[in-house]
Amino acid sequence: MNFTDFLDGTRLAAGGLRDFATGLVNPTIRLGVTGLSRSGKTVFITALVHALLTSARLPVFEAQARGRITRCYLEPQPDDDLPRFTYESHLAALTGDRRHWPEGTRRISQLRLTIEYEPHGLLARSLQSGKLHLDIVDYPGEWLLDLPLMDQSYTQWSAATVEASRKLPRLPHAAEWHAHLATLNAAAPADEQKALRASEVFTAYLARCRESDVALSTLPPGRFLMPGDLAGSPMLSFAPLDMKSGDEPASGSLAALMQRRYDAYVSKVVKPFFFGHFARLDRQVVLVDVLSALNAGSAAVADLRTALTGVMSSFRIGSNSIVSNVFGRRIDRVLFAATKADLLHHTSHDRLEAILRVLVAEAASKAEYSGAAQDVAALAAIRATREATVTRGKDELPCIVGIPEAGEKLGNVFDGETEAAIFPGDLPPDPAVALAGALEGQFRFVRFRPPLLKDASFPHIRLDRTMEFLIGDRFS
Amino acid sequence: MTRKPQAFVLDGDKEEPRLKAARAHIAFDPEPENQDLVVVPQASLDAPPRRMRWGRLLLGSLVSLLALWAGYSIEQMVEQFFASSPVLGWTALAIAGIAGFAALAIVIREIWGIVRLNTIETLQDQAARAINLDEQDSARQVESGLTSIYAARADLAWPLKEFKDLSGDILDPRDRMMLADRLLMEPLDEAAHRIIARRARRVTLLTTVTPAAALDMLFVASQNFALLREIAALYGGRPSTLSTFRLARMVITHLAVTGGLALSDSLIQHLVGKGLLGRLSARFGEGAVNGILTSRIGLAAMDVCRPIPSRRPAREALGKLLREVVSFTPKEKADDARNPQSGNPAEP
Repeated sequence: MNFTDFLDGTRLAAGGLRDFATGLVNPTIRLGVTGLSRSGKTVFITALVHALLTSARLPVFEAQARGRITRCYLEPQPDDDLPRFTYESHLAALTGDRRHWPEGTRRISQLRLTIEYEPHGLLARSLQSGKLHLDIVDYPGEWLLDLPLMDQSYTQWSAATVEASRKLPRLPHAAEWHAHLATLNAAAPADEQKALRASEVFTAYLARCRESDVALSTLPPGRFLMPGDLAGSPMLSFAPLDMKSGDEPASGSLAALMQRRYDAYVSKVVKPFFFGHFARLDRQVVLVDVLSALNAGSAAVADLRTALTGVMSSFRIGSNSIVSNVFGRRIDRVLFAATKADLLHHTSHDRLEAILRVLVAEAASKAEYSGAAQDVAALAAIRATREATVTRGKDELPCIVGIPEAGEKLGNVFDGETEAAIFPGDLPPDPAVALAGALEGQFRFVRFRPPLLKDASFPHIRLDRTMEFLIGDRFS
Repeated sequence: MTRKPQAFVLDGDKEEPRLKAARAHIAFDPEPENQDLVVVPQASLDAPPRRMRWGRLLLGSLVSLLALWAGYSIEQMVEQFFASSPVLGWTALAIAGIAGFAALAIVIREIWGIVRLNTIETLQDQAARAINLDEQDSARQVESGLTSIYAARADLAWPLKEFKDLSGDILDPRDRMMLADRLLMEPLDEAAHRIIARRARRVTLLTTVTPAAALDMLFVASQNFALLREIAALYGGRPSTLSTFRLARMVITHLAVTGGLALSDSLIQHLVGKGLLGRLSARFGEGAVNGILTSRIGLAAMDVCRPIPSRRPAREALGKLLREVVSFTPKEKADDARNPQSGNPAEP
């Protein structure tokens, strides 16, 4: 155990102690909404908050369905150094005249929701306040990919990144960067301009990977793609060099400069992000966009699996003991959710869940081993489609009906105004077949526009079940 | 005859493994996931199959003989009446017709009662499948079954409407059963608890004040039968004579299967607690024991009659119920006031 580990441990314990002290007065649940970019974090948070604020129809969420939740409201921002989650503007985007899905998140933000409820039993009613704060943090999904960097040295990361770029499907996107990489000598004296140029070319490579149809998930460092308020900072001007993972860079060399900046990036960017938000979570929902990955093929699926396993290994998951309650709580409930389940007919949801189960098997086994409760659900926080059955000749096709976004293609191009019934294809009964990528081109998922509000709330699929699993036990 | 050990070879098909030998058939049991399973109350212990039911044959033939004789003698009687006076004959015929009609109605009601009992048993089975194995089809069948059983019930109209509103939602089978449990079963459970508490109190009182031991046995038995019928009717059964007897048999079997655990701790504890009372008054001690027994029979009847198997352990339920028995809550009075026909005279 070296000094940094010790320091991190202390930091965890101090944060935990603070949370414990405040939790005695104001019980708080810190809900971690985890998901790679484009997995639907912002929509999930907006839908969750909206459902609680408008007391939407949530039959499976017991506290709400039994009418024990008396009032919900948004609290003023508790942390002064964090921007507030702009719930109102996201809601306006979803419900406005030209309703559309919210833009991708570019920086971190936070929201505190207070739920007032009637506790069970006479004793609890007189002792407890009957108030629960729900803290939710939204952030760009790209940043999540940085978490595994905390356990890697510069040379390890460098070697892994270079190796991955020399394989399909990344190889075609990496030609320019590889050409530039060949001109760099790790042992050469440090040169600021060379470092800057290297990071520019490397960032361009990452961006190309992301833009290509191959929905690649493992593209650290995340701030290269989504710098937030760090754009132009020297901490971002480094890049991998062609080195072996055990090499020790000579002092004063280009490699030493890169290593220094990488270490600074990890300790000044990644760790504060982790300790500030992830190390103190109580509950976690992991949103996974399985359908897009399946759409993109086996390489994307494999990438997604690696990314999820890497990210999940950073979290402190496990059942809580007396000690951990005081010095840093662990995450004791994890829900893996396959988002955008409304793009499939409900008869396929079981198969989607089976695929997700296999996809997160490695990450989930850790959660199970440590005693945390975990579950898998096919989820649509906002349900954009209805269901229908189309009969053509003797075929009966289970379809989904909605308004596809303008520019989406399936046979013909949609204009974003007309409704269409879409049969996205059949998911295979055996999840291994789907993950092996033998089905490329056998299904097509079309993006739909957000739905109109129904009885002042969004339709959803299993949002209530998700809420029951994540926070339901705190009301009983 | 002893059976030899033997092996069957499965073919390699992973999707649907079948036996290679065409003469044998294999059915795979679905493997339940590792979690808390609900258990359907066992209806009857597996009795060894008898080769020929001679006793039943004897009884059946005797009964038919008796019916034949009754029909024949009535027919003769009517003929005699006709011989003496046509008016008398027609009157006798009309009365005989009415009697026949009533007998038919009774038979139909008995059959109906048995059919309904079977329906509820099937529902229990399907609900357990839906909960344990997450089967969508079973959940749907339970849903439609519950809807048809409770369609005519005024006290469940509102929860039933709420439940029907959810039928279009995309819900997992387990969640659907949980909702049915919460919306439809919970109000009935509360009512059942009140019924049991009332009957148990009455049994205690009757045992305490009855002068003769034989008489109080009679009281207890009749109260318990009434309790069974009330609970069966509450959960949607159609209690008739035969079905009540069958229900009683199921309840006794259920008690025999699950009774041990409740007897081992909480009952003993209560017995010791009441033992003090018993020393003060022997009759009251006996009354308390009879009351507890009635409560346990009531709970077993709830388990047997409830279309959705309960997930609460029996011990917990007994403890809760006994607290209810000894406390006269205002809730109970309110209920009695609402249903004055169902028991104690209403209190204003």
